[in-house]
Amino acid sequence: MTDNLLEAAGLMVHYPIRSGMVVNRTIGHVKAVDGVDLAVPRGSTYGLVGESGCGKSTLGRALLRLEDITAGTVTFQGRDITKLRGEELRKLRRHAQMVFQDPMASLDPRQSVQSMLTEPLRVHGLAESDRAEFGKNSAKAHAAKAASMLELVGLPRSALGKYPHEFSGGQRQRIGIARAMILNPELVIADEPVSALDVSVQAQVLNLLSDLQDRFGLTYVVVAHDLAVVRHISDTIGVMYLGRMVEEAPADDLYREPLHPYTTSLLSAIPVPDPVVEDARERVLLDGDLPSPANPPSGCRFHTRCPWRRDELCATEDPPLREIAPGRRVACHWAETIAAGRIEPHAAAVVPAKDAEGAGGSATAAD
Amino acid sequence: MTTTYPGVDEASPGSRTPLLSVRDLRVTFGRRGQTGFRAVDGVSFDISPGEVIGLVGESGSGKSVTSMAIMGLLPTRGVRVEGEALYDGRNLLDLSQRELCRVRGSQLAMVFQDPMSSLNPVVTVGTQVTEVLHAHQKLSRADAKAEAIDLLRRCGIPDPGRRFGEYPHQLSGGMRQRALIATALACKPKLLICDEPTTALDVTIQAQVLELLAELVSSLGTAMVMITHDLGVVAGLCDRVNVMYAGRIVEQAPRRELFAHPRHRYTEGLLNSIPRLDGDRDEPLHPIPGTPRDTIGWEKACAFAPRCRHATDECLRPDLELRQLAPHHDVRCVHPAGAASSGATGGASAAGRSPEPPKERS
Repeated sequence: MTDNLLEAAGLMVHYPIRSGMVVNRTIGHVKAVDGVDLAVPRGSTYGLVGESGCGKSTLGRALLRLEDITAGTVTFQGRDITKLRGEELRKLRRHAQMVFQDPMASLDPRQSVQSMLTEPLRVHGLAESDRAEFGKNSAKAHAAKAASMLELVGLPRSALGKYPHEFSGGQRQRIGIARAMILNPELVIADEPVSALDVSVQAQVLNLLSDLQDRFGLTYVVVAHDLAVVRHISDTIGVMYLGRMVEEAPADDLYREPLHPYTTSLLSAIPVPDPVVEDARERVLLDGDLPSPANPPSGCRFHTRCPWRRDELCATEDPPLREIAPGRRVACHWAETIAAGRIEPHAAAVVPAKDAEGAGGSATAAD
Repeated sequence: MTTTYPGVDEASPGSRTPLLSVRDLRVTFGRRGQTGFRAVDGVSFDISPGEVIGLVGESGSGKSVTSMAIMGLLPTRGVRVEGEALYDGRNLLDLSQRELCRVRGSQLAMVFQDPMSSLNPVVTVGTQVTEVLHAHQKLSRADAKAEAIDLLRRCGIPDPGRRFGEYPHQLSGGMRQRALIATALACKPKLLICDEPTTALDVTIQAQVLELLAELVSSLGTAMVMITHDLGVVAGLCDRVNVMYAGRIVEQAPRRELFAHPRHRYTEGLLNSIPRLDGDRDEPLHPIPGTPRDTIGWEKACAFAPRCRHATDECLRPDLELRQLAPHHDVRCVHPAGAASSGATGGASAAGRSPEPPKERS
């Protein structure tokens, strides 16, 4: 953990809630991100998961300074970027780029692909490493770089003259990826890169992202709600709930042994495309909905929905994110006790396995 | 109208008279005198009372249009619906609007994808539930209100008395979907069609809603058609699964059989291309090349052929038939999977698969 490309400490993003017709008073704050620490080693992929409203997208954007940071620091390449302004901030963009969720909304419908791909080059110029291949900055060199980038993402050169509406969703997302990668950035933050795509096309884009990572040694932060997708491409996964990181673990461990009750419930809520597994597993259902981030519950933010809730501590003390095993951080007072099986979830929350007879195969796939 | 049927556990097609029998359903969009676009192209399936059927496919596969056609919800202009949907001895497609209105809501009901746009924003939730009861059961105001509050409670809405008088925007997404389910189940219909009921919801809420649907359907003995793109949802819920591609059913099987031995190359490809929570992370994904739009018309060849790695000249035959490969397992494919690699389960890759980089045709 020595070479961290990106670090955040105590990061907070609060949005003011305003009210009043004449005098605009701030009557509270939506605490979208409320004290998050994370470190992303160079060349690795960090996955952020959580339900809508947990602050994962806001966090992703704040890491790139696309949101105003209320408190805390973001360190990129060993430099504090929290206070950067103007020219300095603009230069940062060369090294850190973003892939957005909706490929239709994030591409300008009236800009051709060539114009879209060369715009970052016109602003920042070709990356040092590209000068040898494409020569000095000129419209011609930019066009050549754009064409080679398109080929890398699996689109034909002829796409340069086309407009976004002429492409399918998967192809548009490839263009979005090409645009983010054209400056040879070190860090790419991808906000729900595949959630708008058809199932059969998602895998193409996921494979493309990992190919590009291998080729350029990129560092990714992938924000997504689909845990299966995040687990597939990430080295480390952070699970967020109501603006806080509740658990952080290597991708494999998280599925094998979730430590936070929220992670356990989240994993058991995700349908697995295998009837044998579906029928054999016991599920933990959460009650109710996400509380309002403007007025988060006291103590542990998850205690209002937690199936393992205890009378002591949970409602009163805010659990810190602490390391309980190498690489595994969890924010739960009772993580060890639950892992040891000494606290049982409330019976009402557990949906027993549908059947145990298992027609047509053993339940080995259930891990 | 409140007959309860015992829940049917595993598929047993043909063992009793079907509740709804769809035969050769075709839906064509287009103006008169122009070649139309055939969104649904000869779909046939049966649903027995109490059975849960899955209709799986990607966007554009015709799964939603199928359900809209059965419910008579497609506009009359610019659409041609052919075939039949036999319910209770009557062809639903031939009914007049007046007759349809009598059947819809009381016998057949539907839950739509987006609960915000399918609830009326300027009418209270309670009124939307009691409306159905007034129309079909002629209950008095007080009775309807009591019944509606009971329904909302059974659909897992806390404090239903207060929620009864609230407007849709005051409810959260999951709560709205519950209200919609309450509306659909108000008259205890015999058939419930759910069109992507959980796609707009978060996973933990999705789990709650699916659990609720499964529970209600089995306690009321309602048959259900579950339309979804999520194979995971189908795996846990449906007795039988129909996989659709480009307007036709390409594979029909009981769910365990389908996931253990997918025979159509499209089904197999789908299962191989989705990352699995319990799968091996180092195993690369095997995407299906191309996009769902790269199709040939079924009247010329197999519509999946342009994206299929196993396609040969034989696949370029017009109007491939659904063939029965195993009991209750029908496949529309010339080169079905599983002949060589038996015992391949779930997401395991089949023989002869080479991990090549994805390519899209433009």
